[in-house]
Amino acid sequence: MDAEVFARELEHALEERKPIPPLSGRGLKGIHAAYQVQEAWTKIRITKGDSVVGRKIGLTSKAVQMQLGVDQPDFGNLWASRFLGVGERAEVPFGLFLQPRVEGELAFLIGRRLMGPHVTPQEVLASTEAVAFAIEVVDSRIVNWQICIEDTVADNASFGAFMVGPWERTLLTEDLATLGFVLYRNGEAVTHGMGAACLGHPAEAVAWLANTLSLFGVALEPGEIVMSGAWAPMQPVNPGDVFTLVGARGRALSLYFSG
Amino acid sequence: MRLLEAIREARRAFILLKGGQDWGLGVEEAYSIQETLFPGPLIGFKLGLVSVEKQRQMGIYEPIFGRVYPRMLLKEVASSHFLQPRVEPEVALVLKEDILSGSSPGMAYRAIGYFFLGLDILDSVWEDYRFTLVEVVADNASGGGFILGLKPYGHLPRGSLRLYLNGERIAEGSVEALGDPGERLSWLAEKVGGLKAGQVVFLGSPAQAVPLSEGVLELWSEGEVLLTRVT
Repeated sequence: MDAEVFARELEHALEERKPIPPLSGRGLKGIHAAYQVQEAWTKIRITKGDSVVGRKIGLTSKAVQMQLGVDQPDFGNLWASRFLGVGERAEVPFGLFLQPRVEGELAFLIGRRLMGPHVTPQEVLASTEAVAFAIEVVDSRIVNWQICIEDTVADNASFGAFMVGPWERTLLTEDLATLGFVLYRNGEAVTHGMGAACLGHPAEAVAWLANTLSLFGVALEPGEIVMSGAWAPMQPVNPGDVFTLVGARGRALSLYFSG
Repeated sequence: MRLLEAIREARRAFILLKGGQDWGLGVEEAYSIQETLFPGPLIGFKLGLVSVEKQRQMGIYEPIFGRVYPRMLLKEVASSHFLQPRVEPEVALVLKEDILSGSSPGMAYRAIGYFFLGLDILDSVWEDYRFTLVEVVADNASGGGFILGLKPYGHLPRGSLRLYLNGERIAEGSVEALGDPGERLSWLAEKVGGLKAGQVVFLGSPAQAVPLSEGVLELWSEGEVLLTRVT
C-alpha cells in the first residue's frame, strides 16, 4: 500500500468531482495506514497553496460508530480553502462538492495550547477562547458513501466545508451537553440535536482529539478551530437548498448552496 | 523508610494499616514519601483539612494537599477498587494560566479558568481513617478517586453543597467554608513550587466524609446537579 498513490487519487477525485471506489477494498488496511493517506493528501493540498486552519472530529455519535464498527471517533483537517467564514450567512456553490450532506455542531476556538495525553474536558473548556454554533458540509470522495473506517479516515474524515457563527465567550459557561439546535432545510425543520449527542459532551470530543493528536506528537494550538462533531444525523443536500441552524436562544446561521 | 514501605506494601496487597503510630518523621518528610509513593504525571492537586475544626483536630493551622493523577479522574465509581471508600462534596477549579511560587492571592485568583462541582472519593490506607498528620499526608491525603463536573461556573458556586446517596441527603456544607480560592492557590503554589495552566485543584470539602455505598450520588449547588453512579 502506497499512501502517496491513494492521496493523489483522492486529490484527483476532489478536483474533478468524481468519486472513486473504496480504498478499503484495494489494500488500505488499518486506521494507522489510513491516517498516513490523510497526511499525504494534506501535504498535496499544502503544496497547492491550501493550509490547515484546525481540525474536525467525526464519528462522535454512538449510532454512526456502530454503523462503521468502531468504538471511537476520528479526525481530519479543516482546510482554509473550504472555510466559508464566520458570521450569520454564507453561500457556497453546490458544484464544489461530490455528494454533500449537512451537519450542525459546536466549533471551538482554541485559546491556549492543548497537548495530550492527559487533557481533560475541563481543561479544554478553560483553554478555549470562544465557541460558536457551526454548520459542516460533509462530503465523500468514495462512491455512494460506501465507507469503512479506513475510507473515511483517509478521505480527511469526509470533510467538505464549514462555516462558523459569531464566536461567543458567554456560551462557555453554559452546560454544553444540554444546548440544542433545530436544523431547517428551506424553512422546514428536518432534524434537531443537542450537545450530549456528541460523545456525551462536546468538550469530551475535543479532549479526545488533543489526546489522540499527542500520539502523533502534535498539539492543538492557539487560534486553531475545532469542529467538535455532529449533534444530529447528517442531512442530504440539493442544489439551491438553504440550510438554517437555529441554536439555543435564537443564535442562527444560514448556508445557501447556490445551484 | 518504614512508613513508605508500609504504605506501599499495604496498597499493593490491598490491606489496611493500623494508624496512630509514631514513625519518627516530620510533615516535610511525609510529603516526600507522598511524592515517592505516587509518581507519574500529575494533573493537579487536592486540598484536605480545609476547615478550621478539622485542622484543630489534627493540631495544625493550614490545610494539607495530595496529588491527583490522570487515572484518578473517574466517570463512575467502582467501590471494589477501593479499600474503605468515603465521599465528600467538593468544588474544584481548573487553571487557565500558570501560577508561580510566590504569587499573591490576587494573581493566583486571576489564573482560574472555571470552577466545577466535584466529588472526592477518599480511600485511606489507615483503618477507620484513624491516622496522624504524618500518616495521612504520606498516604496522599487519602486521595482515592475524583469525579469532576462538566458545567463551568465563572465564580465559586454560591450557597451550599448538598450531597444525596440514593435519594437521601448524606452531607451538606456551605461553600464559604472552603475559604478564599486565591489564598488557597497562592498557598499551594508556594508549597509545590508553582502550578500549571490546565491543572485541576480540588478545594476540599465543607462537610464530613461519608462512607460510600452502591447507588446514585447527586451533588447539588445553585440548582445544578452532578450525577454519579456507584457500583
